[in-house]
Amino acid sequence: MDAELLSDTFVDLADTMVADFDVIDFLHMLTDRSVRLLSVSAAGVMLADPRGELRVAAASSEAAGLVELFQLQNDQGPCLDCYRTGHPITAPDLAGASQRWPRFAAAAIQAGFGTVHALPMRLRDQVIGALNLFGTGTVLLEPADLRIGQALADVATIGLLQERNVRRVATLAEQLQAALNSRVAIEQAKGKLAERLNVDMDQAFTLLRDYARSSNQRLTDVARQFVAGTTADFPPPPPG
Amino acid sequence: MTERRAEVVWGRLAEHAAAAGRRVSVADVCAVAVQSAQLTGAWVTAARDGGPDFVLCVTDPVSERLAELQLMLGEGPCYDVLASVAPVLAADLDNEEASRRWPGFTSQARQLGAAAIFAFPLTIGAIRAGVLGMFRSSPGPLPTGWLGDGLVLADAATVLLLDGLHDGADGADGTGEPVLNGQSPDLVLHRAEIDQATGMLTVQLDIPAGAAFARLRAYAYAHDRRLADVARDIVARRLRLHKEPERDGAP
Repeated sequence: MDAELLSDTFVDLADTMVADFDVIDFLHMLTDRSVRLLSVSAAGVMLADPRGELRVAAASSEAAGLVELFQLQNDQGPCLDCYRTGHPITAPDLAGASQRWPRFAAAAIQAGFGTVHALPMRLRDQVIGALNLFGTGTVLLEPADLRIGQALADVATIGLLQERNVRRVATLAEQLQAALNSRVAIEQAKGKLAERLNVDMDQAFTLLRDYARSSNQRLTDVARQFVAGTTADFPPPPPG
Repeated sequence: MTERRAEVVWGRLAEHAAAAGRRVSVADVCAVAVQSAQLTGAWVTAARDGGPDFVLCVTDPVSERLAELQLMLGEGPCYDVLASVAPVLAADLDNEEASRRWPGFTSQARQLGAAAIFAFPLTIGAIRAGVLGMFRSSPGPLPTGWLGDGLVLADAATVLLLDGLHDGADGADGTGEPVLNGQSPDLVLHRAEIDQATGMLTVQLDIPAGAAFARLRAYAYAHDRRLADVARDIVARRLRLHKEPERDGAP
């Protein structure tokens, strides 16, 4: 593992946890860094909705097949098992996991993945979600990398709890609910922007995020305002 | 994993409506909320431009007065809930915090007999449809573990409210049929494509997000398809909707 990348990653994540940061932006950064640090192909953070559903809060790629793989795990899969047991769940060879998780294994293999890890996001006795890592090939993460992976999952949990804005959010359930609501607004904004500019969802997300950062606003606020039609200077007009 | 809780709640809503001999409506949401959380009364206020606008339904006269009071004062849990898109759970209106947050509202609410007030936003991402408000004449928090049920009820109220507001305006069949019953399984599991398709439709149809969502549901219902499948087709650009519904189809 690249030691410099490791330290940069944790410094960047810590820097982000300042007042008024956006939890979805933060979690997205975390999935992105997880992919690079752990040399996996894809990563996603799933959170337990107070209604009892496991939902995607952030993913390293907006590719539809990947998102579907996360969404499938509501019914079965490593994230669900991880969430229920509070233990890390690994499958070194998805081809052999089809008895354990028939639909999930088939979908993951079709998407080109060979291994999967789900690392619990825990707060004291409660499991609030999981960090899900997908790799091609059939080699599991080394123990040292797994420890970093768990540390990243723990950082994700801390980040989620750290977000405080004007509302007097008291409970963990409310905090989770708020994060997932933000995600919905961001998805709506992605759709509107993708249609408006004729770009794909990945590009739409990048445009939203870059605009939020450059204009010093929270990603969620930009998303809500854009969907409500109240952003004056976004998207910027095409050049020329 | 999760279907049971939402199905149970929707089952209660359907039962309540059937017993009254009518379609499921926000009135059923209010009644079921009161029954299941052992409260005194409930109301739904519809929003406009992100703020509370008018009272849509109430279970009793005190709820009506509590709802109207907030609109009159321009202050209260319903405003906070829409501004922050987070629930307000004021288990004891007697405490300092309530008086500090809502100086005008709190004393009058207590005079009306409310000792605890709970409000849930009726929102889907950036769509702010309204507020579900509830009160109890004695102080104390909501039952442990009820938050999940409350959120499911709020989801149902949001969808009913949006369907009702956009009834027939852009819908494929315009009869305002009880879409909730047919589509409830679709709402149990969240799908990113549904939100993305909603966003896309605001551009395709040049309408606000609430209306776009209602139109998406109306299309799915009229074509007897699952909401998530229709959304997936729209996101994959296999399906495009138009202002004139007869033009809906492959682009």
